[in-house]
Order: sequence, then C-alpha cells, then structure tokens
Amino acid sequence: MNTRLINWIWHVRGSLALAPGQTSEDALDRLDPLFRQTGTRHERAGDTLSFRKKDQPAQDKMSVFDEGTLRVGRGPTGPVLEYHLISRALLFCFLAPVLFLCISQVTVAVGKLQKPETEAADKAKKEADAKKKAAREAKMRLNPIDQFLGAPAPEKPSKKDKDKEDGDKKPSPTAAYVFAGIFAALYLIGRVLEDKMVKTLFRKRLLGT
Amino acid sequence: MAGVRVGNRIIGAQAPVTVGWENIPKVEGGPLKRLFFTCFQPAMLFALIAFWFYAPNSIAKASTAIGIGVGFKLLLLGLEWLAPRHESWRLTWKELATDLFYVGLGFTVLRLVDSYIGDGAMIEAVQHVLSWDKFAWFMGLPLLLQAFLISFVFDFGQYWMHRGMHNWYPLWVTHAPHHYITQLNVNKGAVGNPVELFLIGLGVGGFFDFLPRAALLAGTFGLAVGTYQHINVRFNSPKWWRFLFNTTEHHSVHHSQDFEASRSNYSNTWIIIDRMFGTCVDGEAELLGMEGGRRMSIRETMVYPFSESWKAIKERFGRRVAMPAE
Repeated sequence: MNTRLINWIWHVRGSLALAPGQTSEDALDRLDPLFRQTGTRHERAGDTLSFRKKDQPAQDKMSVFDEGTLRVGRGPTGPVLEYHLISRALLFCFLAPVLFLCISQVTVAVGKLQKPETEAADKAKKEADAKKKAAREAKMRLNPIDQFLGAPAPEKPSKKDKDKEDGDKKPSPTAAYVFAGIFAALYLIGRVLEDKMVKTLFRKRLLGT
Repeated sequence: MAGVRVGNRIIGAQAPVTVGWENIPKVEGGPLKRLFFTCFQPAMLFALIAFWFYAPNSIAKASTAIGIGVGFKLLLLGLEWLAPRHESWRLTWKELATDLFYVGLGFTVLRLVDSYIGDGAMIEAVQHVLSWDKFAWFMGLPLLLQAFLISFVFDFGQYWMHRGMHNWYPLWVTHAPHHYITQLNVNKGAVGNPVELFLIGLGVGGFFDFLPRAALLAGTFGLAVGTYQHINVRFNSPKWWRFLFNTTEHHSVHHSQDFEASRSNYSNTWIIIDRMFGTCVDGEAELLGMEGGRRMSIRETMVYPFSESWKAIKERFGRRVAMPAE
C-alpha cells in the first residue's frame, strides 16, 4: 500500500524554485539558522539537510515539525528546494476527535452504569433530601442590603426545575462532542495554515528578506 | 546575573526578572489605546458584577456563566492577537491545539472523575457520616460579601495547596509539568497533569450553603481576575488592582526560569494572600519555563508524576535492598 495515500495527514511536502544563480550550498546556508534552535539536531550532506527536534520550545518557528529533510534538486526550470516535513502535532490533532468521541461514549456508558439505589434506601434518601431542600428554601431570603440595592429575590425552584436538576446528575457527553468538533476544525486549519507558513518562512529565508 | 534582593531572597540571579512596578513598561500608543488597556480590566469586572447582581432569575444560571466564560476568553484571545505583550509569547497553532487539548480534558474526563471523588462528593460524605448540616447562616449575608468569602476562602485553600506543591516533592511532581510552559496565553492555566488539576480544584466551599447568585458572582472574580494570570496582553492595571489581585506580571514571575522567583505569587485571584504571608514579588519576567525552556510534550506531562515518583522511590529504597556484587 502506498503510504503517501494516508501520510499526507501529518507529512508536509512542497517545493520552491531557487533564485536564478543561487547554488544549493548558498540556499542551505540561508536556511541553516532555522535549525540552530534548542532541541534541534541537524546534519548536512551535499545537497541535503535533515533535522530532528525533541521538546522544541514554542518560540521555535518550526516547532510544529518534529523531523524532516530538505534537498536541492533539479526542476524543469532550474534548481528547486524540495522539502518533506513530519509533524506529530498534526497527526495528534487529526486523531483527537476520535479520542473525544471515545470519551463521549465512556461518559454515556458511565451514566448507564449508575445503578439505581435500592428502593428503600432510595425512598429514605429522597425524603431526607426533600426535607433539607425545604429547610434551605425557607431560608433563601435576600439580605436587606441587597433588597435595598434592588437585586432580584431568589426564586424557589419549580417542579420542572427540580426534575431537570435530578436529570442533570447524569454525566453529559455534550462537552466531548463539542471538543471532537473543535479538533476536527482545528486540524483542517492547521494542515492548511502550517503548510503555507513553512513555505513562506523558507521563501523569505531563501530570498534573504 | 546579580539579581535583586526582595526580603531575604535574591530574585533574578539565574534568569532575568524585572522587580518593582516602577520598572515595568506601560502600554504604548495613542491616548485611546492607553485608555482602553487601562480601563479594560476594572470595567469588565464591575460590568460582570453588576450583570450577575441584577440579572433576572431566568438569566442568572450556570449555563449563562459558561456562555459568558467562553465569550470572554474568545475576546481575550482576540486581544492577544491584536496587542501581544511579548512577540515571543505569540500564540501559534500548535500551542493553541495543545492548550485546547488540556481544556478539553478538563471539561470531560476531569469533570467526570470530579463528580465521583471531587470535593463535592467528599464533603457530602463527611456531612453524611457526621450528620452535619451545611452552614445555612451564610445565606443571610449580603450577596457581595457571600461572593467575596466564597472566592477568598477557595483561593486561600488554593494558595496553601499551591505553596505545598512547591515545597513538598510528592505534590511537586504533580505540579511540575505546568511549569514547563514557555509562554503565557489565555488557556495555559489548563496545561498540566490531571492529578494536579484535580488537587488544585479541591475546596471547602461545599460546607456552606449560599445563594446561587452569590456563587455566580464569586465565579466572576475567577473569570474577570484569575484569567489574566495566563495571558499575552499588557494592561496598565490600576494600583489598587495590583495590590489586591493577581496579574500577568505576578504570574510571569512565578513561571520565571529563576528558581527563587518561581517560589512566589502562589495565589490564584487574591495576591493579597501572598502579601499576607510574605511570598509576593511585584515584577515581571519574559523568559519562562524549566530546564532552560524545554517544552514538555503531552505524553510526558501525562506520565511525569508517576515516572518521577517511581524514580524517587527506586532511588530511596532501591539502594537498601541492592545486593553487593560477588
């Protein structure tokens, strides 16, 4: 199976034409400072530069990539810089929605597993809770200072609210669904944005601007 | 580096830290920009307090608070993008994705675990065993006093838990991953090992009975003050604000690469607690993190407390049982 069919998810490939007359040595010299960063090791062999990063700081302009190769080759119109960069962050972000969907299913399963208490214990607990709630509601009064300042008086919860409150005790998977969606969107943004940004970064370095 | 003496300590001997409000830069730009960044923090705080104080009961609900919280953080992310405090702290896609991962864990897994073994569950168990009713007299206090006490008592507990984390190794291993962040951004407060986030979330507020509106008002202090601990925006915070509340400046000192500086400013919202116990350092730092700015990966963050504890146990007890070589 051709791995390129799936590894585009976290592999970024691209090429850039060198300026007329620019040699491979000059091009790699200009890119070299990008790899002189904390947590980065790089090697040059002829027309090729390879690098590997570990625990790279957020301030590293290429922090999203963990390893890669840059090579100056021959294009149809002259020398070109070809690069192949690998990002675990992109792969992780691609997989994050699956993780959050799994969490949502675990949350649903935990909610179902909450065993209903025995009838007698349940009844006794409900009665005790009702007593406590009634006592609490009787004391729910605004302080005279707040009344003077015009704060709305607290409302006793209606039957509908109470039912809702009881229902809310079950863990909800909504947050996990929301984060699955956020990471799906974040992946699409990152895959396009980081591809463009690294190209711009290389272009600026090659042109010396 | 010579450092600066603050009380009995030398701050900034290992990494640059600016000490003293008079040495901290102000917001630069036109009068409107300066006015905006001077008034923003107090205006938002008072507006939110007024909102929760007067909002009708149909609106004053937890769901509204979540909506406001998300909206406020989006606004602050916008400010970070428009007016970053330091270019070196600028939010990148990778940082945003990483931060949101931890935020996501907090809203899902941590919340689920918390519902079973969190402070609420523990307090309920204690009350049940000791047949202990909640302190209902608390509800009779004025709303703003209730809100202040909820916020202050919770922060007081957090202060000691946080200080304990910096002084006792078993707690430190849970908190250390949070100190590997190399910049401050809006969601960086969520970055850390879930065990630490669980511990730091423990409070005694559940022992008290308070009006729902007071809890919402107390949450406003966390949102409209505590959020600024981790943010890449410079504000001209008023003097009274800096005296009472934690700021980005204070928290950047706490995250500094300088060891002594990192042992200061432990509170979450009320920096006055640090002033009370002599741990406050007024200043700021740009160079943050541990081990010279090494960024800790998510995988290492998740296992760090366990792997470091295992190493420490092996080191302590391993030698005793080691057999001499023949």
